[in-house]
Amino acid sequence: MTAFVASVVEAFSELRIHKTRVLLALLGVMLSVAALTSVVALGTMAQAGLVQSSERTSGRAATLGASVYSATGAVDTGSTLAAYDDVVERYRIGYSSVRLDTSLSIRGPAGVVAAPTTIIERDYGVMRRLDVVDGSWFTEVDEQRLAPAVVVNEAFHRLVGSPDLRSAPGLTIEAETPVSATIVGVLADDYAEAQPQAFLLRGQAEQWDLGQDQGIPPALELWVPEEIADALTARVQGDLASQLGAEAQVYRQDYAAQGDPYAVVTLGIGGIAGLVLVLGAVGLLNISMVTVKYRVREIGIRRSFGATSGRIFFGVMTESVVATFVAGVAGVMLSVAVIKHPRVESFIAQGVTDLPPFPVGAALIGIAAATAVGALAGLIPALVAVRVKVIDAIRY
Amino acid sequence: MRHRTGPPAASDGAPLVSLRGVTRTVRILDAEDLHVLRGIDLDIHRGDRVAIVGRSGSGKSTLLNLLGLLDVPTEGGLFFEGADARRLGADERARLRGSAVGFVFQQFNLLPGRTALDNVMTPLLYAGGRQFWRREKLAAAMLERVGLGSRLRELPQKLSGGEQQRVAIARALVRGPRLILADEPTGALDLDTGAAVMDLLDDVARETGAALVTITHDVSVAARSQDLYRLDAGVLSRQVVPA
Ligand SMILES: Nc1ncnc2c1ncn2[C@@H]1O[C@H](COP(=O)(O)OP(=O)(O)OP(=O)(O)O)[C@@H](O)[C@H]1O
Ligand SMILES: [Mg+2]
Repeated sequence: MTAFVASVVEAFSELRIHKTRVLLALLGVMLSVAALTSVVALGTMAQAGLVQSSERTSGRAATLGASVYSATGAVDTGSTLAAYDDVVERYRIGYSSVRLDTSLSIRGPAGVVAAPTTIIERDYGVMRRLDVVDGSWFTEVDEQRLAPAVVVNEAFHRLVGSPDLRSAPGLTIEAETPVSATIVGVLADDYAEAQPQAFLLRGQAEQWDLGQDQGIPPALELWVPEEIADALTARVQGDLASQLGAEAQVYRQDYAAQGDPYAVVTLGIGGIAGLVLVLGAVGLLNISMVTVKYRVREIGIRRSFGATSGRIFFGVMTESVVATFVAGVAGVMLSVAVIKHPRVESFIAQGVTDLPPFPVGAALIGIAAATAVGALAGLIPALVAVRVKVIDAIRY
Repeated sequence: MRHRTGPPAASDGAPLVSLRGVTRTVRILDAEDLHVLRGIDLDIHRGDRVAIVGRSGSGKSTLLNLLGLLDVPTEGGLFFEGADARRLGADERARLRGSAVGFVFQQFNLLPGRTALDNVMTPLLYAGGRQFWRREKLAAAMLERVGLGSRLRELPQKLSGGEQQRVAIARALVRGPRLILADEPTGALDLDTGAAVMDLLDDVARETGAALVTITHDVSVAARSQDLYRLDAGVLSRQVVPA
């Protein structure tokens, strides 16, 4: 214990003595670590962003999409929905939603407009990780409302004059008898020029007979564990086809269906980062070797005062590791400062609604890599230091 | 100036270090082996004042390195406090050396760029718990003892030769060694400064009861010793201490 503390104490005082040289070497390590950490962090954040937007457009892993069609004519919507319900119940699917893309005529400040509307069930919000910027996604209460509830995106919200949600803004849906709906939530737009989009609960669409008369067949989405996705795909397909006497199509539609597409990105990032680090390590090793040569006499003196070869070895190692650890922490701080800089952040944030925080993993990788570089770059000089012949070192 | 009177009991009992028929041979590429030391018998007891003289290249430093466990004999026995040095591993020798031996060199060998205090603390980095934790106090007290209490934070290059050697003496003594080995401690100093340094070495050695072995070319330094030896081409012989 004392020996360990003593080694660290010794290492620190050594570093103080060789400040300039060490600082220069460490600057290299620090920059490498900053580069490594930034690359990993950016990669992780970009990937998180990509996954996020993929999940929003096609669901989380694993999402099965089911639809039915018939060569002879339209399949009855009512029996299709009934068959979907049977599937959800039979396989005890935790999260599921029907999905019907339709369009509703909405009376807005600038007259009546046709607004793309998707009829879904409540689970859809979780399945697509939808984030509201105001109000909330559909809750149980919304299903009991006396007027239909709608959730809209920001573009839609603007289209109807950006009403304050606290005032429970109404919305007139033109139908045979116009229906007055309430906006309960506003979703973040996926990208800058997003089209207006509204969501309506299936139960309420049925109750007020909205948007179901356009001949578009409804689809079913199931969020299921990845392990059972393939087996379930075949079963659901068979069930739907036999129950409806029509063709059924069931397939995995989420981004990870063909294996994780971002694995390559991760691998590429790792490769670049590794290379950067190796360069840093070589630079440090170079300096450490010079330092040890210069210190042969000093090592001899220390040995004459009782330093064991273990202590000399450990001392040189500790010095290297302590130094690179500090450089690693500094490098990570630099990286955070750069990536979290408002300018840089807003650049990264393009196309991602909520930017992931600075990945802790990247910071840890940076520090761990720095320490590993320290150990590696310290190893060879430490071996050289141990082999110093005391008698020759102190001979004058 | 005959030897000073040390604690009379200190010389009694088993020797601190003894050499029995020690030879030290170095192999030299493409040449015959060089016999640096031949058949050396020597006992050093606690409190002894020993001086060793001899021409350059006669093997004095080699002998000192053996006494200080920096080296092992090619043949013959080397016993440190009864322990057979050849049976000790390098690390055991290092630990024993750290706790029992203090070196003073001709060129001072202070660590450059480190203050007097840091230099004196260095041996304590290799000491056990108590000495390590109290290293700053111990080092400061030792520097005080050698008269440099006001120069603790001075860098070696700013000190005079005599002052540097006093720092080196403080460093050699800070762990309370039982054997002090000084290799031409006055060799780089003028006569007066050299005498002052030797006074200091004698005094601190006497205070702690440590044995002091000094290699020297200086007759006046040799004259301070109880026992005087001469090395001649690796052969040790006892001399009469000059009056
Ligand atoms: N490791 C070694 N390799 C080669 N030669 C050595 C080695 N060690 C000692 N010698 C030789 O042994 C002889 C004695 O060396 P040593 O340093 O003991 O002499 P010394 O009496 O201390 O001389 P000086 O008064 O000049 O310091 C020298 O000739 C030296 O070159
Ligand atoms: Mg010599």
